Amino acid sequence: MSLESQFMLLMKFVIPIYLLAFVLYAVRAFKGPTIADIILAVDCLSFDVAAFMAILAVYFRSVYLVSGAMVLALWGYLLDIYVAKHIAEGEVGA
Amino acid sequence: MSLLFYMGAFLIVIGALCDFFGALGLLRFPNFYVRLHAATVGIIGGAAVPLFGVALLALGADFLPHRYAIAGASFVTGIVVLIVSPAGSHALAYAAHKAGLVEWEPEVDHLEGVEGDG
Repeated sequence: MSLESQFMLLMKFVIPIYLLAFVLYAVRAFKGPTIADIILAVDCLSFDVAAFMAILAVYFRSVYLVSGAMVLALWGYLLDIYVAKHIAEGEVGA
Repeated sequence: MSLLFYMGAFLIVIGALCDFFGALGLLRFPNFYVRLHAATVGIIGGAAVPLFGVALLALGADFLPHRYAIAGASFVTGIVVLIVSPAGSHALAYAAHKAGLVEWEPEVDHLEGVEGDG
């Protein structure tokens, strides 16, 4: 049994768990009572999609998905900082 | 060579489990501050650990065409997530406490007299 077939067997168990977790994050993002809950759920979702994209880069044997993962992680941080500044002070200044 | 592959696969399995438990806690916990704990479990355990796992697995996998590029980019993304996620969560918690968004009944509030543009 080669390494490639072992990796495909692992992905049969890992990918459905990730997709179920994405569905649960999306449910919290749609029903969150306050704005902070929505931002927290979208933040978790973006970081985990970045990790899942790195896994899919190995699954599809493509290099270009990993660069998207790095940009997505930085975008989640930017969303956090902007929304926190807007909630705390009522403006997003320089 | 295959030892690195198995270590990376083990870290990916741990990451999938932590991601699922973090999502379950984020859906089920009652309060925003308690949900912040579940979100941190979901981010660090479900995003940073599988990224390091993908780095090790891509170093050990001999069937990948561009394995060194995938391993390096995954390692750098894991370090970025590890630095950036606590800062974002802390800023969001500070903003929610300062604006008074969340209904809660504190026993002791250490941030009660704090005012300033920190």
